[in-house]
Amino acid sequence: MQRFLSPEVLASISSLDLVAKTVVDGFIAGMHRSPDFGFSQEFAEYRAYTQGEDLRHVDWNLFARTERCYLKRYKGETNSQLMILLDASNSMQYSSRRTSKADYARYLAASLFYLAIGNQRDAAGLIVFDEEVRNYIQPSTRQGQLVRLLAALDTAEPRAQTNFSKPLTHFHSMSRRRGIAIVISDFYERPETIAHSFESLRFKGNDVVLFHVLDPQEIKPELKHPAILVDMESGQKIEVTPEYVNTTYRTKIQDHITELRTRAQAAGLEYQLIHTDQPLDSVLHEYLSLRKANL
Amino acid sequence: MGFLSPWFLVGLFGVGVPVFIHLLRKHVTIPHPVSSLMFFERGIQSSTRHRRLRYLLLFTLRLLLVTLIVLAFANPFLRRPVNANQILLVIALDSSFSMRAENRFAEAKRQALQLLSSKPRSRRAQIVSLGGHIQLLTEATADPNQLRAALDGITSGDGHANFSDLARSIRTLSESRSEPIEIHLFSDMQRTAMPGNFTEVALPAPVNLILHDISKKRAVANWAIESVSAPRDVTDPKDPAQSKVKAVVAGFATTETEKTISLIVSGKQVAARTIKVPPNGRTVVEFAPHELNYGFNRCEIQIEQNDPLPEDNVARFVIRRVDPQRVLFIHNASDQRSPTYFGTALNAATHGAFILQPMVAEQATNIDPARFAFTVLSDATALPTIFEHALEQYVMNGGSVLISLGLDAERQSHIPLWQGSLQRPHNFGVSNAATIGQVDFTFPALEQNHPSRDNGGWGTTKVIYAASVEASGARVAAKLNDGTPLLLEKQIGEGHVLLFTSGLDNFTNDLPLSPVFVVFVDKTARYLSGNEHVQGSQVVDSFVQLRSSTEGLKENPKKANAVEVLDPDGHRPLSLSDARSSQTFRLARTGFYQIHFANGREAVIGVNPDPKESDLTPISPEMQSLWMAGNKDQRKVAEHVTADKKYRTLSLWWYAMLLAFVVAVAERILSSRHLETQREAI
Repeated sequence: MQRFLSPEVLASISSLDLVAKTVVDGFIAGMHRSPDFGFSQEFAEYRAYTQGEDLRHVDWNLFARTERCYLKRYKGETNSQLMILLDASNSMQYSSRRTSKADYARYLAASLFYLAIGNQRDAAGLIVFDEEVRNYIQPSTRQGQLVRLLAALDTAEPRAQTNFSKPLTHFHSMSRRRGIAIVISDFYERPETIAHSFESLRFKGNDVVLFHVLDPQEIKPELKHPAILVDMESGQKIEVTPEYVNTTYRTKIQDHITELRTRAQAAGLEYQLIHTDQPLDSVLHEYLSLRKANL
Repeated sequence: MGFLSPWFLVGLFGVGVPVFIHLLRKHVTIPHPVSSLMFFERGIQSSTRHRRLRYLLLFTLRLLLVTLIVLAFANPFLRRPVNANQILLVIALDSSFSMRAENRFAEAKRQALQLLSSKPRSRRAQIVSLGGHIQLLTEATADPNQLRAALDGITSGDGHANFSDLARSIRTLSESRSEPIEIHLFSDMQRTAMPGNFTEVALPAPVNLILHDISKKRAVANWAIESVSAPRDVTDPKDPAQSKVKAVVAGFATTETEKTISLIVSGKQVAARTIKVPPNGRTVVEFAPHELNYGFNRCEIQIEQNDPLPEDNVARFVIRRVDPQRVLFIHNASDQRSPTYFGTALNAATHGAFILQPMVAEQATNIDPARFAFTVLSDATALPTIFEHALEQYVMNGGSVLISLGLDAERQSHIPLWQGSLQRPHNFGVSNAATIGQVDFTFPALEQNHPSRDNGGWGTTKVIYAASVEASGARVAAKLNDGTPLLLEKQIGEGHVLLFTSGLDNFTNDLPLSPVFVVFVDKTARYLSGNEHVQGSQVVDSFVQLRSSTEGLKENPKKANAVEVLDPDGHRPLSLSDARSSQTFRLARTGFYQIHFANGREAVIGVNPDPKESDLTPISPEMQSLWMAGNKDQRKVAEHVTADKKYRTLSLWWYAMLLAFVVAVAERILSSRHLETQREAI
């Protein structure tokens, strides 16, 4: 039996909620419900209850022993806030398989939201951008946040071109707390520009993770005959030859990935290359394992 | 270059289809979307150009294919100049009887050989002999030895030349050959060789006719025995009515002259007459040979004085002296009329050559029919079994029987010798008597060259009773006006059975009272006795029937009776196999032929040249010019349609179709690749 869920299987599920639940629950079950996973899992301190705070966090055992209300606080609750910056430009629409990059990115984002909110009760927000910021949902732990986020993902259809500066500016202006910023994009930009753009987030104390989503055909394209290619974002057309695509292009894209990885690491950014034919739970598992190792 | 069917060139508008597909309807290239062209570089490689070139090549192939198919239908041809060597030379040498006059044949052959010698060595030629029948002596060849040998081998014959036969052969030759033909005819250009209808000698356009008139366009005076009328069989030579011999002496381009005509019987001159032949006229001379030996007497009528063509001064014929032949006439005891009518007619017609021997059917048990010239069964359908069997054997071996069906035949359903039962009889009654509607005047027993308007005398005959018989496998020679067969003939073995479906008395019809009955009995007697086929005198190139049928000879040739033919020189012209299988024999030479037929009969035939050959008057120079000019006129007309004689037409149809096929295959391959590239995907 297949252990991981293939993107094709996920694509057949229409509801993002169900996709995220399927991925994360299965993924958690596969990890034997380990308590060590999550964005803020470590107990930090007890804090005296003040009026208006959520009673769900009151430690009732301690109240029974001491007749005082203390709130149980975790480490994550003090500094964890998940913000996903989702690239919804036209290039994300590319697909050589059933699952496009945009779909894969939305499944990934939904799974991360489900993991953060449903399992860890972290605040989670979303910025959907192309050349503009198309949608912004402020990080929150409020009731219904997950639904709002998933609804925003549902409507995040790819269009226009990519511009990383505007969502970053928006994120800077709206961000009050440090947290984890996950950028999901195909990163068709110069690596130094990308690294330069996102290292400012790092300087503000955020953990920045770059999820580089690419279609397998973008990494190793196969072309038998000369063809006309059209840029999905700019609409520009050029004629290319199989010889170039099968040799030079592959080298260039590999160089691009390598340089992006190098520059991201140099800038203190985490970098993860994801192929759209990879099982999503496998990707999550790999990412969280790496993250745990880094903590 | 020209086109035999230029209207098909309208199809060239079809080239618009590939023009529309390739040029007007632009090719749609489906671009492949990619996320970004960031890492791609423009590369219009030669392969892309190759594809465009391939489209252009495909376009060109399609244009070429349409054009070639249209051209093939338009049937293009090339006119290539034809040099003299490519014109087939046909040398026709007249070897007919008239060429024996003076030294015409030798002169004609000399001129023909001279022409052959002047022929370029590489030029092909063919030798044709124009005698009684056309003979192509060689194939078209350039071998001078073969041609000379063929020309040398032609000897003067006894046949009658016919220019229409020559024209027909040349037309056939022209249809089978592609190159032009130049025919040189060496002949005395006899007027009688020219058919009455000038179109019969017309030659096709690619044939160039050149006449070499040996007669020097002048008529030569000639006398000839034009015809001889002599009895075939004589029973009593002293009876002048039987032995009278008439000869017609004709003069052609002659003045009034006295000629001595003699009759020679078996090499001995028995009579001579001196007659005066008018200028260009004819005189009849009569002889009555009283001394004739039993058997075949070889007779000749000769003109004593020689002329330029002495060979036609002799006319050969044969008179056979025989005892009267008996005819067995089987009839009913109650029927006394039919032997009377038939016997009277037979005696009147044949001057005693046949003696009728009537006999009642019941008395015929021990009679051998082979001892009779033929047998008549008059209303005698009930025969003794032994006699009927003997009659069957008699017919199988070549005997002949005449059967008439009178009123008594109605009581019997069986007709002797006739395989087929008697069907419902037709009794018309006196008031509604039937007449004879159709008569086949080519049938020997009914033969008439110029039948009168009353159906040759048969139209007035009234038939009251006629039996209806099975006519399958029989030749119907006469029919009543309601379609009932009246006279039928069947070939059984070597013999004949003639069936007259009415009686020979005046109860069933009034034929015995009609004058045509005598003629009918006369011709029937001669036909059934076997004397009809073999006249004592025949013309060269006429045919003699040696046996009745060749059916079954191939399966079992040993059963066939051999015939024997001795030509005038005493040689046997038939090989052993031919003697067992040949049905006819051509009398090719003048002289006496001795023939033993398959049915056992013997004959001696005197063969004479065609009297037309005696008229040595040539075709007028105007007619000769017209013949050649008419042929040239045809060529001139044809020049506008096909080609001048100096050109020969080379059809390009096959080449166009072959090229179209190759182009179609190339187009198919290229278009398949083209479609494949359209399906490709990144």
